[in-house]
Formats: sequence, C-alpha cells, structure tokens
Amino acid sequence: MKGTAYGAVTRDILDTLFKPTSLYFGMIGVCAAFLLFGGYCWFIQLTQGLGVAGYAPPVFWGVYITTFVFWIGIGHAGTLISAILFLFRSKWRTGVYRAAEAMTIFAVMTAGLFPAIHVGRTWNSYWLFPYPNQRELWQNFKSPLMWDVFAVSTYFTVSTIFFYIGLVPDIAAVRDKTSGFIKKVYSSLSLGWRGTDRQWHHYMAAYGFFAAFATPLVLSVHSVVSWDFAMAQTAGWHSTLFPPYFVAGAIFSGCAMVITLLIPLTKLFKLEAYINLFHFENLAKMCLLTGMILTYAYATEHFIAWYSDNPYEWGVFHYRATGNYWWVFWTMVFCNCIAPIPWWFKKYRTNYTWLFVISLFINVGMWFERYNIIPGALSHQFDPNSWVYYVPTWVEMGILLGSFGWFGFWFLLFVKVMPAVAVAEIKEGVRPPLKSDEVAA
Amino acid sequence: MSSATPGSVKSIYAHLDCLVEGLDQLKTAGFKPKEMVVTSPLPRPEIEEALYEGKPSPVRWFTMCGAIMGGLSGFSTASLTHLNWPMIIPAGKPLVSLPAFVVITFEATILTGCFFTLLGLLFFCGLPARRLQIEVTDPRLSDDMFALVLNGLTAERASKAREILNSTGAIEVSGMEASNG
Repeated sequence: MKGTAYGAVTRDILDTLFKPTSLYFGMIGVCAAFLLFGGYCWFIQLTQGLGVAGYAPPVFWGVYITTFVFWIGIGHAGTLISAILFLFRSKWRTGVYRAAEAMTIFAVMTAGLFPAIHVGRTWNSYWLFPYPNQRELWQNFKSPLMWDVFAVSTYFTVSTIFFYIGLVPDIAAVRDKTSGFIKKVYSSLSLGWRGTDRQWHHYMAAYGFFAAFATPLVLSVHSVVSWDFAMAQTAGWHSTLFPPYFVAGAIFSGCAMVITLLIPLTKLFKLEAYINLFHFENLAKMCLLTGMILTYAYATEHFIAWYSDNPYEWGVFHYRATGNYWWVFWTMVFCNCIAPIPWWFKKYRTNYTWLFVISLFINVGMWFERYNIIPGALSHQFDPNSWVYYVPTWVEMGILLGSFGWFGFWFLLFVKVMPAVAVAEIKEGVRPPLKSDEVAA
Repeated sequence: MSSATPGSVKSIYAHLDCLVEGLDQLKTAGFKPKEMVVTSPLPRPEIEEALYEGKPSPVRWFTMCGAIMGGLSGFSTASLTHLNWPMIIPAGKPLVSLPAFVVITFEATILTGCFFTLLGLLFFCGLPARRLQIEVTDPRLSDDMFALVLNGLTAERASKAREILNSTGAIEVSGMEASNG
C-alpha cells in the first residue's frame, strides 16, 4: 500500500457501499431462494414432527448436528484472524479480518439455529438456558451439552462485541460521508464516535482486552464442541484426541471459507489494493498447517483404534472406511488431505483459480468429516442388532441448503451496508501524511 | 468553521509531524495535555505518547473486576444449583465437581469480563453520545485530517496557542463554540 493516502483508503473502501449492481441482486436472489426452500422444509418438520427427518434408531444425531458443528467450525477463522493475529501483531490480518469476523458472526448465527431445529419442538429450546423457575429445576452443569450451550453463546456474544466495537470508528467514517436519513442511521450506529485522543486511548486498551478474551475462546469453543462427542462412551468418539483434532479442523475449514468468500468479494469490489495474493497465500499456508494436523489426527485415530485391539473401536473405524459410509470417508480424505497438496507449491497458492477451487473442496470435505464422525459412529455401535444405515431425507437436506442461503444473505447484506475492509486499521499500515515527505520531494 | 469564542481554539492539521510538533511546543509553553483534544481518523502512537506519556487506560480495572465477578458467579451458579437439588449420582461423583465446573467458570469469566470491558469503554469514551460536539462535524477528521482543540484558555493564552498552532503548520486556526473533549 505504499503511496496510498488516507483519503484514498477511505474513498476506495467506502465506494463499495450502497449502489448494488444487478449481479449483487442476482446473488441475493439465489440466497433468498435457498433460504425460502430451507424455511419451507423447517415448516414441514415443525408441523409434521421429527418423523420427516431420516432418523433411524439409534442414530438421532444426523445432518442437523453435522451442520451445526460445520458452521461452528467455519466461525473459527474470523476470531482467529481478528484476535490472535492482532495479539501477534501480524500485518496480513488487516485486509481480511473484517470480512472474516463478519463471516464468524453469521456462521455462528447459522449454527445456533441447528440445535433448535434438531430438538424438534423448537419453541421449547429456551430450556437449554439456565433461568429461575418455579420448580427450581436447573440444567446439569456437568453435562458437555450444557458446556456447549455456554461455550457457543459466550463465543457468539464476545465475537459480536469485538466485531461491533471494531466497526464503530469505520461507521463514523461512513456517517461523515453520507447525508439525510442514512446519515442518521449511521450516526446512531456509530454511538456518536468522534475519534478524540481520549476515545482512541481507551478504545485501544479495550480492543486489546477483547482480543485477549476472544483468543482462548478460539481454542476452547471447538474443544467443548468436541466433548459433546468425546465425553460419551461411544466407540469412535471417546478419545482425548478430539479437542485438538476439532480445533485444527475448525481453523482449517474457517480459513478455507474466508478464501472462498473473499476472492469473489475482492474481484467484485475491486479491492485488490487491500486484499490480494499476499493475504490469500497466508490463508492458504494456515490451511496447510491445520490440514496437516488434521491428516495426522485421521491417521492417529485409525492407528490407535487398530493398535488398541479393541474390536468395538476398530469395528467403527473399519466400518467408516469400508462400510455403508465409505464414500463419505473417502470424500473427506480426498478433500481434506489430498486436494490441498498443490498449495505446497507457491505457484498454486498464488493463483486465484487454484485457491478458490481448493478452498471449495475443503469446505465440502469438512462437512463430510463431521458426517463421517457422527452418523458414521452411531450407526455401528456395540450391538450388531442396532446397526442401521441412516440416510438423510429431502427435508434435512433442504434445511442444510437453507442454512447456506441464510448465511449468504447476511453476508451479502453486510458487505453492502458496512465497510468490508477495516478503514482505520488499513490506515495504520499506510505511511501517514508528513510535511517532511513533501519537503523532501 | 465556527465563529471564535474566547477560551477555545481549534486548529486543523494536514500533516501528522506538524501536529506532533504543535503538541510538543504547546506542552513546552506550559499548556497541559488535559486542555488539549486531538481528533484523528486513526489511533497514532505519536499522539498517544504526547498526551498520555504511557499512562494506561483505567478500562483495565473494569476488565479485571468483571472477569473475577464472572468466574465467581459461574462457579457459584453451577455449584449452588447442584446443591439445591442434591441428586446423588452413582460412581461417587461429588455434587460440586471442580473439573466439570471449570468450563462453566471459564465461560462466565470471559463473558462477564467482556461485558464489563464494554461498559468501561463506553463510560470512559462518553459513549453513546447523544449529539456530536461541534469540532467533529468536520468530515475530514474521519478521513485524512487531524484537529487540535484547546479548551479553557484565557485570552492571553489563547493568543499564545494560536501563535504556536500557526507556526507549526496548522492549515486552519480558529476559535470555537465549545468542547468537552
């Protein structure tokens, strides 16, 4: 960004707001169609009951829990990039962190729908939260499912606060460039931010604390999600490997989703000066690191299952690779372990087409990973008499499709009404206007 | 620009080094940092150093109190609710289980600490502000310019301040209606 002036940064980034094109409306339309279809499927389930899902006892965790874990995982990269890389003062985060944070918020919002969909009687899902009640009935705080409620809701709240506080100075910049009713809206949203020394002084301190709070959450949330499985006495789940395995997978899928979303965004909004191959290459390297950890985890859990000589444990792992779900397992292996291999070569991780296509493979692979873990284990437990083949119904797949529509709808809305690149932080990386430079010139 | 009012002087700088020079000269001339308000489109360490000289923000006390309160309340909620309904679980598991409650305690620590940090930030920044103060109606200040406002000056000191601001490269110098920084 050498030679870029503060004014040019403001102009370039704020020019992406408002003025939607027909292509933008087209994308909104596709998301709305997916969302409507998903909503229709959910309506069917609400009115007819969970029987419309393909649950086959004892498999009661299927597509909904798979998709819940998938979206929670997607929601990891944003806070990793915005908080952890902020604390490490990593320079490449600046261009991408705002969009990645937005992705996190919308992904967790999407994930949050699924436990409510999964329980069937959605109107009772508030029972998940502790609240004073007449019979003095409380949740079991020793249950990993209860930990998960706390972990996910805390993650969502902290990420949202961190995201919004980061946005405030940029909303003030939008306020100062607009007029009329729109200016009033942005004035309210900016909370009256003025950018005084006193405000920046406290802001920077608080921002550091928010980052410090969000950092352990990145590691803890998916660890807690993994305990939903690992704490159970279920063959294929009951493993101490799960927390690091899940965290690595979450960062892997989250970074891939950032690549998937930001390549079109950068091209459409002509933001190459701020988000370019330097950033995408770093994201690809992050995927390579976490992808290697994931591949190692796959190999380790299979090796330990075989080496343990426990017939139930090895039975599940053998079944996943060769049984009814063989295609799920091998899709996962191909997408997560083999497809990213070209990124080991600089030529491919600095090529937009390769970046985009491989990131899509990873997104698909990570959904299949969770599917492999969940029904892949539940359908082949200790008693052969309980072995079943769970197949999702069109209602479940429709709700899965709808979740992509819901997520895409929010993300598209965001990039048109809020700066998708952090204006103030980009300016921090730009040489400030100096009289001495002008004199020297 | 607003009309001049005795007691406050406003200046606009287009260059950061000129602004920092202005701040230094004002301090040398006996003006206190608390009399000055700098408005900038981004946080700059040079401005922070000139006005706060490494003094930390008190927001950190809100953060610490919030985190401690959150941790205590998380652990208490989990423990007291289990003691309130003392169901004996087989295998000798205690009613108040430290390992099992670590997660709830941790999450409550983070959540409440974060809420209190937010409260501290809003309190010390004077947010949400019902209306913008007059010196920031200038849209250049969230774009590429810096403002330096001095408040509570006598006529003599205002004159001295104007002289320093002009000599250090301020592109506009004027009086102003009011400011509370």
